[in-house]
Amino acid sequence: MGFPYDEASWSVVDGAMFMGWGSAMPGLYTLIAAGICVAVLLFGQKTESAKTKQFEK
Amino acid sequence: MVQFGQRRAPHTTAHNANRPTRGFIVEEQIAELTAQVAALQGSSGVTNTMFAETFYYLTIPLMIIIHAGFLAYEMGASRLKNVLSSGVKNILAFAFMIPTFYFFGWWVYWGFPTGLPGAPGPAGISGVEYANAIAWGWGESAQYMGPNIADQASGVFFGAFALFAATTASIMSGAVIERIQTVGFVILAVVLGSFAWVVAAAWGWHADGWLVTQWGVHDFGAAGLVHAVAGFFALGVLINLGPRIGKFNADGSANHIAGHNMPLTVTGLMLIIVGFWGFLMACVIVPGEAWSWFADKPSTIYGTPITLSALAFNILMAIAGGIIGAWVLTRDPFWMMSGALAGIISTASGLDIYYPALAFIIAFSAGLILKPCATWLENRGIDDAVGAVTVHGTIGLYGVVLLGIFGAGYPSLQGAAGEVPTISLIGQIIGAVVFFLLGFVPGYAVSYVLKMMGMLRIPEGAEIAGMDMVKVPAEGYPEGIPAPGVNLAPGE
Repeated sequence: MGFPYDEASWSVVDGAMFMGWGSAMPGLYTLIAAGICVAVLLFGQKTESAKTKQFEK
Repeated sequence: MVQFGQRRAPHTTAHNANRPTRGFIVEEQIAELTAQVAALQGSSGVTNTMFAETFYYLTIPLMIIIHAGFLAYEMGASRLKNVLSSGVKNILAFAFMIPTFYFFGWWVYWGFPTGLPGAPGPAGISGVEYANAIAWGWGESAQYMGPNIADQASGVFFGAFALFAATTASIMSGAVIERIQTVGFVILAVVLGSFAWVVAAAWGWHADGWLVTQWGVHDFGAAGLVHAVAGFFALGVLINLGPRIGKFNADGSANHIAGHNMPLTVTGLMLIIVGFWGFLMACVIVPGEAWSWFADKPSTIYGTPITLSALAFNILMAIAGGIIGAWVLTRDPFWMMSGALAGIISTASGLDIYYPALAFIIAFSAGLILKPCATWLENRGIDDAVGAVTVHGTIGLYGVVLLGIFGAGYPSLQGAAGEVPTISLIGQIIGAVVFFLLGFVPGYAVSYVLKMMGMLRIPEGAEIAGMDMVKVPAEGYPEGIPAPGVNLAPGE
């Protein structure tokens, strides 16, 4: 992914300095992170429902 | 030329000989302003110095919260018959860590960044000669190791580092509960906290460290040099210490030995998370002092820029990612809070440069692999009572190596690539191997010697009876929940 500035030097950094700055990567990471949250909730609901149903009278 | 503050002789004429000229008045005002600016600069310098001193001072009680957490966590994870002895061991490790780090740990950090024999490094703040001048508690050097009105930095730096040292001892402490001898454990804690991790810090957490200057190793939040070193030190000890009685069946399958108080353990883990804000805050070098890297912005210990905002973003996202990842596979609050720790540790190396969503993803993956890694270790006959080897050791190295993938190309020190090394996968792997060896080898070797001397493990009868009954003249729960047996007098 590399350093987000053309010259790999801290002396040229005057703003954002995180990985992926200036590319599409931050947006992609955000999308993946949000996707993980949704997927985990769906998985959690499915598995927990299956367990709780075992105790239905 | 007339300097600021210097009064020029006024031009006089017969007409205005007895009153000051306009030029004279302006110069007087300039002189006054100059004096005010100088006073303001002095006052601002005092404020900055007090801020810097207070900044590190506050990290010390915050890091002591880590120990409150470890204390609760270990006592909760112990069975009723061992609850107080686990606490005694943990408290004693903290107490021995501080003086031993004062006696020689601080000296080791400054003396050996370039390796043996302790030559000075390019930044001019390392080497045996330098360490002799600032880190011994005697002779001329003692002026930096005690109260000194002209030195408002050494004590708070020492304090922060001593608390890092105590953290390593606490990491190992949890893994070995319920069967280790107290003095043997304290010796191991001193070797880990005042020597092994200090060597790792000198090599990989110092602008003159050879891992940094030669391989570009970057470990801002000490995932490798604190967590992995301590975790694998614990592994070396566990191999010689052996499992608790009843942990494994004859066929090698493992039994779960539940601690007596899961809520206390989980609360302890949350306290550790609180304390880690102080730990990571202490990894920042504040600006504006003679010893700062920058006049106007904070930096890492390597002299590269960082902000506390970066930490706030990334630590919070990492905690969340780790908890969610652990929940998916375990649904167990112990592993969820361990996942929070794993989230921080997996991203600690690059908390200064990760993008928060990426930190979340990495932490989520760490939370996900946590329990399977612990189970893998358990299936090999290792009884790590609290999962410390996995949470701190395995995940620590995982974080160090991942930074080599995502952060490749970042300069590791001030300056440009070519002049200074950059972060690389190879460099991070080398760092990970060194951190593993600096933990595992001394842990295994010293515990082996202690085992040979009969100082490592308590006798079987004492383990079965319970260590509280044998060693502690007090009861954890005197009203209604009695510990088995009758306490002996101290020392018996």
